[in-house]
Amino acid sequence: MRGSFREAAVQRRTKTDPMYPNARIPYGTWGSTYFPAWQASPLAEVNIGQFAGEAMARIMALRRVPVRALDHLVIGSTVPWHWKFWNATMVAGCMGHRVPGYHVEQACATGLQAILLAAAQVESGASEAVGVLTFDRTSDSPVGVFPERRAYRRTEVISDVWDNFGFDPSTGKAMIAAAGHVARKHRLDRREVDELTAHRYQQYFDTRRSGFMDRYMVPLDVLNVQGRTMGGIAEDMGVKELSLDTLRGMRALETCVTSGTQTHAADGMATLLVTTAEKARALSPRPEVSITLVGKAEVRVAPACMPEAPVVAVQALLERTGLRMADMAVVKDHNPFAVNDAVFARVMDYDWRRMNNSGSPLVWGHPQGPTLTRVTIEALEEAVDLGGGNVLVFGCAAGDVGIAAIFNVNG
Amino acid sequence: MSTSTGRKQARTTAANAPAVGTMPHRMRPSTLEALGLGSPGGALLAGAGPADVAALVDRVFGPPDQRGAMVISGANGIVGAGKAMQFAARLAPYGVTIIALDLAGSPDGLGAQYKGLERSFGPKAAAAIMQRIVRMSYDGSSLPPELKAYRPRFLLEAVPEKLDLKRAHYALFREAFPGIVIRSVTSGFPAAQLGVGIAHPAFPHEVNKVFEVVEDAASDLTRLLWALGLIPMAVSDHWSFVLDVFFCGLMNAATRYHERSNMPFWKIDKLVRRLIGANPFRAHDSIGARGANFLTWSCLHHLAQHYGPLFEPTATLAEHKDSGMNWYPPDHFRPVVDWRTTEADLEELRTLVLGPLFQMTSIMVHERRSDLAVMNALCELCAQFTIGMPAMIRRTGRDEVLRTVRAYHALHPEAAGTTWYPEVFDALDTPAWQQLHVNAEHDGTSGVITLGRERYNADVDAELNRAIDHLVKAGIRRVTLMGDMHLSTQLVGADTIDFHPALDDEAAGMRLATDWSRTARRLHTEFEVSVGLVDGKRCMGGMLELMMHCHYLVAVDHAMLAMPEVTLPVVPGMEGCHWALRRAAPADRHKLVNMLLGGAPVKAKDAVGWLVDHSSDLGGCLRVARSIMRDGASALAMRPLEPGAFTVEGLNGGGQGDEARKAIAACIQAACGTSLEEALAVQARHSATFMAGQPCRRGRVGAERDKVMRG
Repeated sequence: MRGSFREAAVQRRTKTDPMYPNARIPYGTWGSTYFPAWQASPLAEVNIGQFAGEAMARIMALRRVPVRALDHLVIGSTVPWHWKFWNATMVAGCMGHRVPGYHVEQACATGLQAILLAAAQVESGASEAVGVLTFDRTSDSPVGVFPERRAYRRTEVISDVWDNFGFDPSTGKAMIAAAGHVARKHRLDRREVDELTAHRYQQYFDTRRSGFMDRYMVPLDVLNVQGRTMGGIAEDMGVKELSLDTLRGMRALETCVTSGTQTHAADGMATLLVTTAEKARALSPRPEVSITLVGKAEVRVAPACMPEAPVVAVQALLERTGLRMADMAVVKDHNPFAVNDAVFARVMDYDWRRMNNSGSPLVWGHPQGPTLTRVTIEALEEAVDLGGGNVLVFGCAAGDVGIAAIFNVNG
Repeated sequence: MSTSTGRKQARTTAANAPAVGTMPHRMRPSTLEALGLGSPGGALLAGAGPADVAALVDRVFGPPDQRGAMVISGANGIVGAGKAMQFAARLAPYGVTIIALDLAGSPDGLGAQYKGLERSFGPKAAAAIMQRIVRMSYDGSSLPPELKAYRPRFLLEAVPEKLDLKRAHYALFREAFPGIVIRSVTSGFPAAQLGVGIAHPAFPHEVNKVFEVVEDAASDLTRLLWALGLIPMAVSDHWSFVLDVFFCGLMNAATRYHERSNMPFWKIDKLVRRLIGANPFRAHDSIGARGANFLTWSCLHHLAQHYGPLFEPTATLAEHKDSGMNWYPPDHFRPVVDWRTTEADLEELRTLVLGPLFQMTSIMVHERRSDLAVMNALCELCAQFTIGMPAMIRRTGRDEVLRTVRAYHALHPEAAGTTWYPEVFDALDTPAWQQLHVNAEHDGTSGVITLGRERYNADVDAELNRAIDHLVKAGIRRVTLMGDMHLSTQLVGADTIDFHPALDDEAAGMRLATDWSRTARRLHTEFEVSVGLVDGKRCMGGMLELMMHCHYLVAVDHAMLAMPEVTLPVVPGMEGCHWALRRAAPADRHKLVNMLLGGAPVKAKDAVGWLVDHSSDLGGCLRVARSIMRDGASALAMRPLEPGAFTVEGLNGGGQGDEARKAIAACIQAACGTSLEEALAVQARHSATFMAGQPCRRGRVGAERDKVMRG
């Protein structure tokens, strides 16, 4: 019966019919800060929720979108920040418009999940213009003290970022161990992973030099408490070009994982809007461009297999929509480990050179909450350059989760 | 009170006014005339001040044995409490009791402001002032029976801005005390709506002396305000009068820019301050956002109903009115993201802020809401504007003003639907526009030049030159230079904002010092006799340098005279380092050196003989000036001016101090050590060099410039 329901659903829709027919992402109303590496910038010293709200107002100003046009705000972050209890309302206040909203948290899937939920909010008719604002500060992450009666120490102390990276309470394993485990499972070759990584660096730096990033990356100055400039965030600080030789010479931390073939912790924010079709036309500098959401999928794979979760999610999504990889104009993922891309390419028989053309988190960093938002923005910009088409965005998240979504860019 | 056409225009006639005249020829009418107080020239001819405070107290509150009281209702509010203290301080010597009336259970507004009173007057005097205030409570519908014993003669109403409430309040008092004089402090409702006259005070209420006054004819009450040292300004009976059109109009414009740009309020404040001088958002927070937001919204709401969408409150303002929220973030949200601005951003801000203000000004000028000089002073004294809107329009020029309004209408098309009057800007060349600060009048033989701005700036300099030209052209050879007895209650020196270009450009400093010194010298060279008359409480810095160029310096005996440049620090640029020294006996020169190097003030009566030629009360000073005008040196011996070089003793001791003292000492030495003819350039060079140097940039002038221009 389940199969027949699914087939019927597929038959009712053409392959690129929107999943939320009333929801659009207005082209060009988005933006992202650069993602300075952990402890490398003044972002290490600010309340990131406040920063994100103020930065969103600035980005919207540059896009000529009054924040008063928004009627709802979906925020996403994963590392606790001061006054997080106050959630989207606090951040909206810092943005300058007191709209309601809520907070989304799903580790590295947060950015994409926030977009999907914003689209659902619009589709429901409850809102006409929803801001999606994702952010995180991994630097100086808070330390939590948790009474744990079943722990022999009775009280556990957790440094939010690093202790969680190092220990999945469901499996007892570190994330890096999952990467090594998947690399062994798929019999990946370190040489291929190094080559893939070198190619990712090449893609990033080619994109940076081309000026492509200037369309959506917004440099910002950060103020100290006296109101004087503490420093600028004008690049992905800490990212340096790596050659293949350098990568090959790096010490293995796990199977196919070196410090070069995994991402690094970073700070930053990224934002976009999800609106009704009418609002999208009114707010976008290119109203002829229509961006819709075609479908989404989420999966959970076997314990400690997180890097292969994305490919499973993509398979599920393609099956559901009836689309094929050949139908994708742009393919882009969140790849904390180069292993992710190598596995995806092998399973899907897809050339990893054809994806992540405008850079990827493996190179520009991993601030968690906003990571997949920036990935999505870059992918949509690339699709518009190509004259439209389907955009496949996917990634992994803590807990062996994979998430994937297809957008359609028309115009 | 009925609406009359006469009251619609600010220039009221002075029924029952004492006979205070004017000189027959004047560049423009004095602003005092609208208050029935004549003009400074008239006072000079009469040899007496325009009004006597004791006599006016008797007329308003009754003779001493039947002295009545002043009632301030709503006395626990910000306005009521401030005014209760202000009037108590000023009326205490005359035995007038202040009744502070408010609803039972209202929070203690007087107590909240008492610390400020103590700071201003000291504990003893503050306690004495409070002894003149009798607090009473009432239920809003009946007055306390005890009130009658105090014989209320004047009610200053400061109850909430609700028309029905105010009208009922007046009826209550009129029934209990027929004949009582009533004034409302309303910031918006016209007198025609309220049925009483207006005395709208400016913030901060415990210290600001300005009142916008609306009445059928200039009254004893208004003249009493003047005589008490307050600054009543006659305005017409239109919604929101003058001050709040500017204050609220600027606020609305700033919120409109916010809505277009997302720019946070604190950043807009910085840019508006650079453009105009005011911080509209900070001002609302300082006054108290909940009340101020409501009043601003209320003024704009009523203006929009009467005039159109130009005044329509923005949604942002309406939200803050409803919520009472502050505009600045709390300390724990001090901003973290800076806003870089482009030239295009700044141009849009300029258009959205100045455009509506220009348009609103045209409406107010068309309606003759006040003298232009008054309109300008309200901007500068009460709305934080660096220069008033009329002065800014004059600087901007007609064509650019019209272009700005057109550009504004392109950004805010609804505002184009509000009628405005561009033709009023065709008159920018007339004296009313050209002499906003400086006026001149004469009787055919002697003249009076009045300064209506406390700080000397480029506008005052240009206007002073035009006033001198006017008198010289009329063949006037004897002149008195004095304050305008109204808008400038003191002369505090140069407007240091005009120094800012000189901090980076020595040539700009040289031009400034040279030009202003040349103007000052005209008082000495182009008149047979000139008298500098200090009629206010202070004369300092550049203003004192200007005054000392006159052949005589006459000052009321309590006036404080000072050369505080060393404290800023700057080197005096208008010949203060040699001119007075050339007129002082060698044995007295050290006193002037001490003034210059120490910066401490000296009372006018203590400076007679070496800086001041005569000191007495105001009437005495006016009579002496009148005698000098009439009889020249035979009325009072003129101290000679040393034209040659001379040596000044006592500079070495001063030179031991900091860089500013050394620089001033060097300037004194150099300027006195040369001829009078050469000294102007010498002093200007010293002043300009110092201004372009590190000590000045590190000092108050540099800090002020950095604060305004940074960010």
